Amino acid sequence: MHHANHFYGHAHILAEYCGLDREDPPRIDGYLQHGWNVLDGLGIGTPYAPGRPIFVWSEQTRRRAWSMGRRHAIVTGAPWLYLLALRAGDDPPATREGTIWYPFHGWESQRVHGDHRRLIDEIRATEPGPVTFCLHSHEYRDARIRATYEAAGPVICHGNRGYQWRNTETRFLDHQLAALRRHRRVASNRLSTAIMYGAVVGCAPAVYGDPMRLTGEDPATAARIRGRWPELHGTDPDPGVAAEIAAAEVGADSVPEPAELRAILGWRGDRAVAA
Amino acid sequence: MSAARRSRTTRVVDKLRLIGGEMPAWSDRTPDARPPAGGPVMADLVGRFGRCLPAGGSVLVVGPHNDTLIDALGRYATVTCLVRGQPDAQALAARGVSTLCGMLAKLPDTDRYDAVVALDGMDRVCSVEGPQYDWEESLQALARLLRPHGTLLLAVENELGVHRLVATGAATSAHTDAAWRPLGEFDTKPGSPAGLSARLTAEGLAVSWLAAGWPTPHAPTLVATPDALRDGPAGALSATVAAAVGRAYALQPVLSDPRRLAAAAVRAGLGAEFAPLWLVTAHRTPLPATVFAPPPVLFGDGPVIELVPGPDGQWVRHAVGGGDLTKLDGPLPTGRLLEELLLGACLRHDLSDLRRLLTGWARWLEALDPIDRGSATADNVLLDGDAFGLLDPCRPAAPVDATSAARAALRPFAETLITGGYAHPWPVAVDADSLTAVLAGAAGLELDRTHTAHAEAARAAVPDAVRDQHEQLRALAEQLRDLRAQAQWYADQLAGRDAELRRARMQIAAFSGSIGYRIVRFGVRAARRARKVIR
Repeated sequence: MHHANHFYGHAHILAEYCGLDREDPPRIDGYLQHGWNVLDGLGIGTPYAPGRPIFVWSEQTRRRAWSMGRRHAIVTGAPWLYLLALRAGDDPPATREGTIWYPFHGWESQRVHGDHRRLIDEIRATEPGPVTFCLHSHEYRDARIRATYEAAGPVICHGNRGYQWRNTETRFLDHQLAALRRHRRVASNRLSTAIMYGAVVGCAPAVYGDPMRLTGEDPATAARIRGRWPELHGTDPDPGVAAEIAAAEVGADSVPEPAELRAILGWRGDRAVAA
Repeated sequence: MSAARRSRTTRVVDKLRLIGGEMPAWSDRTPDARPPAGGPVMADLVGRFGRCLPAGGSVLVVGPHNDTLIDALGRYATVTCLVRGQPDAQALAARGVSTLCGMLAKLPDTDRYDAVVALDGMDRVCSVEGPQYDWEESLQALARLLRPHGTLLLAVENELGVHRLVATGAATSAHTDAAWRPLGEFDTKPGSPAGLSARLTAEGLAVSWLAAGWPTPHAPTLVATPDALRDGPAGALSATVAAAVGRAYALQPVLSDPRRLAAAAVRAGLGAEFAPLWLVTAHRTPLPATVFAPPPVLFGDGPVIELVPGPDGQWVRHAVGGGDLTKLDGPLPTGRLLEELLLGACLRHDLSDLRRLLTGWARWLEALDPIDRGSATADNVLLDGDAFGLLDPCRPAAPVDATSAARAALRPFAETLITGGYAHPWPVAVDADSLTAVLAGAAGLELDRTHTAHAEAARAAVPDAVRDQHEQLRALAEQLRDLRAQAQWYADQLAGRDAELRRARMQIAAFSGSIGYRIVRFGVRAARRARKVIR
């Protein structure tokens, strides 16, 4: 329905979870929430077809969507949780070490403005151990920004988010999961999806440093996020509390079994992949 | 004239007395008329009432009553009936029942009875002739007929009963021939059980028993005392009341679903206040030797079942007449109706609770006897903690495997969600098939597309509520609005894709080496040169 359904390989993970062909996920006749947000689960500017479902991560997001006139939000939990269920049998890494640091990222329509060097200085002054910087593909492709971080430590990128069903790294979240499981801490200069994912998989989260700003951004939203979740901000939030909040935000209590998800997505008639 | 016919005529003449005000061509027993007071529960109550009467006592039965009730009383006492229509009176007399025909006001002042029974209420005791007694005046007239020790057994329709609240027509706008004075709530009838007791006390009578009846005033299939409704097993009682109401109103036109109103009233401790009927016994002092004291709850529309508190506080049910109901002899299951729990979880959008309820129920079905599985539908299962129990284990059903039983039970629940307009977590499922499949998934089951078509045949017979129809209209209008917007959305998308395709084709043609390609290449180079020159 919308190309954002394929972002980060979300549709592919859902197909795999449903026992269908991961490489060729059936069409989703609705909108998958593709990142943590404080609105109705839709990405900003998404052309919404009225009456089609929005598959949101959490009950709180559903309530927000309802209050915004979106009557068709369905809580299915983040695809991240499906991936965790699929990879539950994987061996955990021997040790967790250091911090994986996700600088706040921009996207095709909005660039991030701020002083990356000063942020790096603050990170190095704060983090107790080694730091791996994880850039979003948008910044990773920007040689200047990438070089700035590479000067300070190892830089990784989980892959391309994808656009218009092209250049999608369908194993994006697999890479992210592996990276998060290798680190003790996850941090960013904004409360974001990566912090939620990390907190859910046992990383101690932290949110500090210059939050920077997006082109044309409404500063009230960022302020609202800080006010709503003070427990997740700072250099050393309580990991237990953070894990609990993150679990609620990604909808940890909402994940359906494959049969239910197949019925919700209308994938009942689609052919299962032989085990 | 044959001997038999002559004998019958003689018997009618002997048994029938016209007291004045009789209606020669009127009958309250026509097919269009409200059926006379009756039903198995009333028959059981009347039998119990008869056993409390003094030996050889006399009973006046006022208004139309089912023959079964009259015969039940006749086993214990001498029965006289008072009816207004002459054909009805003749029919009674022909059955050997002493019958008075006429208006209440003409009853001889000197007649006195050990009991007066008026289970049809007071609205059919006056004829078109003479004074038109309101409820209070009728009560006074009946109370005067009681001997010392005498007992009045009276049925009073509650004008605020659920049956009235869901009726599509008002009692005050009845246009039938019988409604020549449709007072409805403008009558002097008391409006609550407490008001009824007070009114009887004011008449010099001592109230010894009062109960609320469901689902209709004239043929209750469940009668319970206010104490039982207040202090008894609320979940099981509200579910039993809802089931009784559901059976009575199956496919009947109503304003809103009376099952929900009835159950909500019982759960809220207002069961007696919103019951369609109150039954009451009141005595002229001094009290009789044997006081009528039926079980706190009686129900059933075939065999009657009594419900009484056991010594350990657990309520026990027991079949008191007819039929093979041995399956339900024993403790009453406790807890809340599964359907209500599921509806609540849907409204709260509590997916964890919904899945817990549905998977628990599906697992319980597997352990259940195949013969019981077919009746283990959401509206017949109680859940207390983790313990599931069948509310009515005698509901007829064929043996069935667990998955089929679940499938057959989930579809009516899906229909309830949709037709009732209940909010639920899966708004994308706007038809019963889709929602059934999702519910099955939440129950840990999987239905393929052929299963849902099969289940279509088993559509539940439920009340036909105007509110539900309005909800359907609203939902359809919303869907139509959405679909129109979607059609426009798709048209816009298509236009965008067409434009992209056009551009792509031009590019393909331009770069495919054709003459067109050369022309475009020439044009592009010329444009570049021009740009350089300008710079």
